[in-house]
Amino acid sequence: MATRVRSFWRTPPGKIAWLAICLGSIVVLLGAWWYLTRPGGGISPLFLPPPDEVLDAFVRLLSRPYLGSTLGQHIAASLEVVMTGWLAAGLVGLPLGIAMGWWRKARWVAFPIFQVLRPVPPLAWIPLAIVWLGIGESARVFVVFIAAIVPWVMNSMQAVYSIDALLVSAALTLGANDRQILTRVVCRTALPTLVAGARISLGNAWTTLVAAELLAATSGLGYIALNASRTLEIGILLVAMAIIGVLGALFSVIMQLVTRIVAPWSRANAEGA
Amino acid sequence: MTTIAAPMASRPRRAPLSPPLVYGAAAIAFLLVLWFAATAIPGVVSNKVLPSPFDVVERFATLAADTFSGSTLFGHAAASLTRWLIGVTVAVGLGVPLGVLLAWLPPLRPAVTPVFELFRYIPPFAWVPIAVLWYGASTTTQAMIVFIAAFPACVINTQLGVAQVDSILLRAAKTLGAGAATTLSRVVLPVAAPAIFTGIRIAFSNGWMALVGAELVVGKQGLGFLISQGQINDSVSTILVGMITIGALGALIDVVLQRVQRLLLPWKSATTRPVA
Repeated sequence: MATRVRSFWRTPPGKIAWLAICLGSIVVLLGAWWYLTRPGGGISPLFLPPPDEVLDAFVRLLSRPYLGSTLGQHIAASLEVVMTGWLAAGLVGLPLGIAMGWWRKARWVAFPIFQVLRPVPPLAWIPLAIVWLGIGESARVFVVFIAAIVPWVMNSMQAVYSIDALLVSAALTLGANDRQILTRVVCRTALPTLVAGARISLGNAWTTLVAAELLAATSGLGYIALNASRTLEIGILLVAMAIIGVLGALFSVIMQLVTRIVAPWSRANAEGA
Repeated sequence: MTTIAAPMASRPRRAPLSPPLVYGAAAIAFLLVLWFAATAIPGVVSNKVLPSPFDVVERFATLAADTFSGSTLFGHAAASLTRWLIGVTVAVGLGVPLGVLLAWLPPLRPAVTPVFELFRYIPPFAWVPIAVLWYGASTTTQAMIVFIAAFPACVINTQLGVAQVDSILLRAAKTLGAGAATTLSRVVLPVAAPAIFTGIRIAFSNGWMALVGAELVVGKQGLGFLISQGQINDSVSTILVGMITIGALGALIDVVLQRVQRLLLPWKSATTRPVA
């Protein structure tokens, strides 16, 4: 008997058991949430409102404008800043990283600068951005850019740098010139790591944007969250947090799909970072 | 928060990545000179926008000696470090055992995965407003943000490290008569230790970065608070001193951890890819 009990705990569950345990844990959690927050349940609704109140808040957010914009407009405002900052960082960071991976001297010059700047958290740039650019969209784009550029550069450099020298020699032997090697051999081989860099960079950009919106914004999901906290609308605050989380997860999934499309041979698909 | 994705296949490196220091030093010196020149030549950059490097050094000395917004620079740094230490200690204390359990007892994984994934994608800073509601502008609020930022890296890397332990080792231990406790403490943990340590390093750095964000929004002390006060007082030199201190302390933490890792775990690290 003892061995059978132990073997259950030491064996990975099958697909159906996995789903069942998953669902079970979600049901138990929702049940506990509902039970503890019911009137007289021990947790005040000011600390954590019951699930149906959060659902109500979500419906309210969907149907009526909050803080001057609809939920769609708030999401669009956040997305616009994140995309602008992330793409701008990619436009600078991707070529810079590839150059640093390919030319030794470019790496020698630029890498130490990044090493010096990297320990400063992107969030610490927010006050500087506000003094320089004011509480506007440009300040947020600037901070997102700072957060996004480091993974863009570092991963591109690493991707190009760690290409198998044998591939380059083979291409040289077959008569390829420098440009052909860089575009057809190096960038092609490095593609999965380049996309991985883009994914990490997008994750950083999103995380940082939320912080920037807590400090300098007049719309956006972080702005909703902070205001809801000030007016004690915890339901709305939780909805904003959930949307932030879902969008973050969505970015990650989309970038993994992109990897699968542009580099179907890569084994990075299974990994999540 | 920054992770370098490892190359897809592990191949022998061509050369160590550290370039000759001369080039790097020259580049940084050039930037410093450029900074100084831009502020020294009148009409290029206003001192309000970017003070000269010497102003920043002077401001550093002032902040170190005099109180600004409640305490000296060291007081603010100590406040930040205390909160950070509380948060990461709890994160490591809970995260590493949870990671071991998840890897060791597979049926626990589906029970925890839905919640864990749900919370993992909510950035630590999105917790700031609700943490303020729950605990006010207190040390608990800041430590909670640090904990949220540090916890996932501990769990994920520990789980990966433990799951990677070669099953031959486990069977060998079993054959030699080891029970579950002995196998865990004498075989699994030493093999997984480098991966666990990598997780702790990422957790420490994530926690430090998140703390700055939390301190910008709430609190009356700390380095994040210092730079937000610099912003309110329109003092770019104060902001720069704060940023440099934050960066230097973050780098110092990581260097110390690397040393500790080499001291404690001299054996070769597992080929785990760090996950942030």
